[in-house]
Amino acid sequence: MTRADPPLRLRTSSPADEADRAVLARLADGELDALEDLYDRYKTMAYSIAYRITNDTTLAEDVVQEAFLGVWRNAARYVEGRGSVKTWLLSIVHHRAVDAVRRRRPTTELPDVELPPPDALTLPDVWAEVAVGLDAVTVQGALAVLSDVQREAIHLAYFGGLTQQEIADRTATPLGTVKSRMRLGLLAMRRNLEGGSS
Amino acid sequence: MSGPDAMPVLTHDEVVEMSGAFVLGALPPAEAVAVRRHLGTCQLDHTEIAELGSVLPVLAASAPVAVPPDGLKARIMAAATAEAATQTSAAATAEAATAVPTPAAPVVAVASAPTPSPIAPQRAARRTGRIGAAGWALRAAAVVAIVALGGWNLLLRNQLAAAQSYQQAVASVIDVAGQAGSLTAVLTADGGPGTGLAAISASGGMTLAMQDLAPTSGSTVYTAWVIGGDGVPADIGSFTVDGAGTASLSAGGLPTTSGIVLAVTREPEAGLSAPTGPVISKGKATAAG
Repeated sequence: MTRADPPLRLRTSSPADEADRAVLARLADGELDALEDLYDRYKTMAYSIAYRITNDTTLAEDVVQEAFLGVWRNAARYVEGRGSVKTWLLSIVHHRAVDAVRRRRPTTELPDVELPPPDALTLPDVWAEVAVGLDAVTVQGALAVLSDVQREAIHLAYFGGLTQQEIADRTATPLGTVKSRMRLGLLAMRRNLEGGSS
Repeated sequence: MSGPDAMPVLTHDEVVEMSGAFVLGALPPAEAVAVRRHLGTCQLDHTEIAELGSVLPVLAASAPVAVPPDGLKARIMAAATAEAATQTSAAATAEAATAVPTPAAPVVAVASAPTPSPIAPQRAARRTGRIGAAGWALRAAAVVAIVALGGWNLLLRNQLAAAQSYQQAVASVIDVAGQAGSLTAVLTADGGPGTGLAAISASGGMTLAMQDLAPTSGSTVYTAWVIGGDGVPADIGSFTVDGAGTASLSAGGLPTTSGIVLAVTREPEAGLSAPTGPVISKGKATAAG
């Protein structure tokens, strides 16, 4: 059997995305049942991310609850074309979780307000494309292109909730180097997902 | 770079340099805002930020799978429903404030108001469609009924403090109702005022929120009772009520069998072994589906 990986694993829409947008439209129209549907679809993903970041079951539950309530409250503000609902939800969960762990670290600078709007609402294109077919092989393949120091910087930022300066301090690395490791590491992952060489 | 409280003005190259940290959420708040501000005005190409952002789902997918607890869904749905009901009450109160005062204005269900505001929470209160199909729906419906009707009634009388007190009590009930294996009961008035909401945890801990009760005086109290399969009322606890008409009660050691009945009576004194006064409110405790 010939196996031909698609050269591009990034795209902008899928039938699942369409279904998600329909759910979000129901939410925006005030149908609470839609929140139940959305939760059923993404509860495991959301909780997994929240728990990975917080390493605390109670905190993870609070994060997931606030994330879904945030989607419910802001459903009407979702902008189609700026990313999938799944990715938007993911970004909110991540944002909430990072905020939660940073609040446990009193030395970390925190926003004055509770939370800014999710980036997908205010910043075009950040979530413009969504990875699909995220099977374990794809995920591991994309992560495998990272060097050890790139992986460390990216994980400390994404899962540890550390700022770039905190990463620099913890790893005894110049700030500029930390910035480069995060940017070049993500670019390498992107190229891997596109099917090109890294 | 400026201090954390300052809002730095960034160049295109600076934004490119920090693009990875930006999409990973690793910038201090002031710098993140500065990046957003730059992206909103910069005429140069910043598509790389989109490319970097597209990788984040892969990072997320690398998180080990963790299964959320069973009660989380009910907790979320109850919280959303309570919030929608609260907003509904606030909107209804605002409408009432603009209407001609009518001292004998009837207390009506918000959901059946003839000219509902088109805001989403009101629609939410009407469209909790699958009631009975899922465990949260029963709890959510209970919260809608109690918070919306109670909030409406209280707010119409400008008893904001009472409304807030009652909502706090309801929030405590919701916390218990969201736990796995809990029971929920809606206590409806038995011929007079006085409604409430109660939740019993899997370990037998009960939280009760009541509103619209007539004030007590002297040694008079309200007593909560649980009636199990043997049909014999057992004293849960007693409480007094002031002019606000609201009350909350917490107790432990209750049976956790679905179908038990909770009742509130008005008694001449606390500590009676059996109810002697009239039943004010009662409801059956049922489990989530």
